[in-house]
Amino acid sequence: MIALKQIRKSFGRHEVLKGIDLEVEKGEVVAILGPSGSGKTTLLRCINYLERPGSGHIRIGDCAVTCGHPSKKEIHRLRGRSAMVFQQYHLFRHKTALQNVMEGLVVVQKTPKEEARRRSAELLEKVGLGAKLDAYPSQLSGGQQQRVGIARALALNPDVILFDEPTSALDPELVGEVLAVIRKIAREGITMIIVTHEMAFAQEVASRIVFMDDGAVVEEGPASEFFRSPKEERTRQFLKRMTPEGVYNI
Amino acid sequence: MKLDPAFIGEAFVKLLSAIPTTLAITFVSVGCGLLLGIVTALARIYRVPVLREISSAYVTFIRGTPMLTHLLIVMFGLPIAIDALSDSLGLSFRSVQVPMIGFAYVAFSLTAGAYMSEVVRSGLLAVNRGQIEAAYAVGMTTWQALRRIVFPQAFAAALPNLSNSVIGMLHGSTLAFTASVVEINAKAQIVASTNWKFFESYIAAALIFWGLTVVIERLTALLEKRVARYDRGGVA
Repeated sequence: MIALKQIRKSFGRHEVLKGIDLEVEKGEVVAILGPSGSGKTTLLRCINYLERPGSGHIRIGDCAVTCGHPSKKEIHRLRGRSAMVFQQYHLFRHKTALQNVMEGLVVVQKTPKEEARRRSAELLEKVGLGAKLDAYPSQLSGGQQQRVGIARALALNPDVILFDEPTSALDPELVGEVLAVIRKIAREGITMIIVTHEMAFAQEVASRIVFMDDGAVVEEGPASEFFRSPKEERTRQFLKRMTPEGVYNI
Repeated sequence: MKLDPAFIGEAFVKLLSAIPTTLAITFVSVGCGLLLGIVTALARIYRVPVLREISSAYVTFIRGTPMLTHLLIVMFGLPIAIDALSDSLGLSFRSVQVPMIGFAYVAFSLTAGAYMSEVVRSGLLAVNRGQIEAAYAVGMTTWQALRRIVFPQAFAAALPNLSNSVIGMLHGSTLAFTASVVEINAKAQIVASTNWKFFESYIAAALIFWGLTVVIERLTALLEKRVARYDRGGVA
């Protein structure tokens, strides 16, 4: 479904991604964990070419791109296969919740307006915002904005949804409502790659964990094994720091 | 000499006929200037090779010289260029056939363009980078993202500055008088030339300019309410 091969990316002389390989099957929920600066967000942003990798190959479904100098058309096609949920939501500020969700359907996928409106309203209903269709982002809480962001991504019916630390900018009390929505759509078999710091959530919702450090994948494996019996020393250190004493001792 | 209040009214009525000329100069220069401003601002923000350097040089030169100088340079320079071009193409067209107001249009469009470039640039920079990233992530092309997401927000952010520039160009249009264009100010001089009541005549002109400016301010306020409806920001 999704295959990344030897993805490399440098900012100036600093190499942020040192040849990443990653495969994700259809319906899988992959959580990417790692300390800040490990390159996980950069990797996620490379998948839809918001960052341009220096070299490597990206394939989503039947759309394959060789990094380096892809044409605008190729990038555009690749972006059409994925959707993204941003840490800072990035809702279109001049559009209502409903218009935010409709925008991609109408402008990019050329869905007739009435149908787009109906589907968008359904999706907003699904994320619990059926009463906020006409609210502007500035009138919504962070949690509500992020749920609109998720509905906007779902509307595109993409091959994969990329989550870039979807709860990091939220007040602690609002994290739960967003995680609940992600949990709900994970159960529907939508392919997702989630960069997150929510360990407990990753363990619960992800089928596989990828642990990154210093621009490389250190360890990956099924969520259950990863947390119970990490293989690498670096992983153990990280988990020890991230999880309060006792939480994972059964 | 005493003030003749009655003549203020009389002059006021006579000046009304010059309003279309003033408005024409203002809106042609603002319109062309805005287009020029958008192109130069985009060239600078997106660092388009060559175009970017030209744009920067244009903006700094125009903003670094008085509006009157632009008019004089265009008025004396453009005819030479037009005649030379006409000769080399073997046409019989002469620069004297160009109405004087045409030179004012060209000169003031160049003036407005440089100021608009900064207005547009500040508006574009006010839009969060995340907005265009979100548009790309949704699958839009750069042009779609600019047109549907960035420009509307940039316009809302730039509106107060834009209104300022329009008022500036309205008042600056009085310089067209140098090119013997009869706009409000020139008309005021003509109206007073028979009876020497310049003071009254200029007061009438001032009242008209004030009125036009108030109209622009009101229109801006209305527009601002409409386009910035989504944003209840600010310190007040």
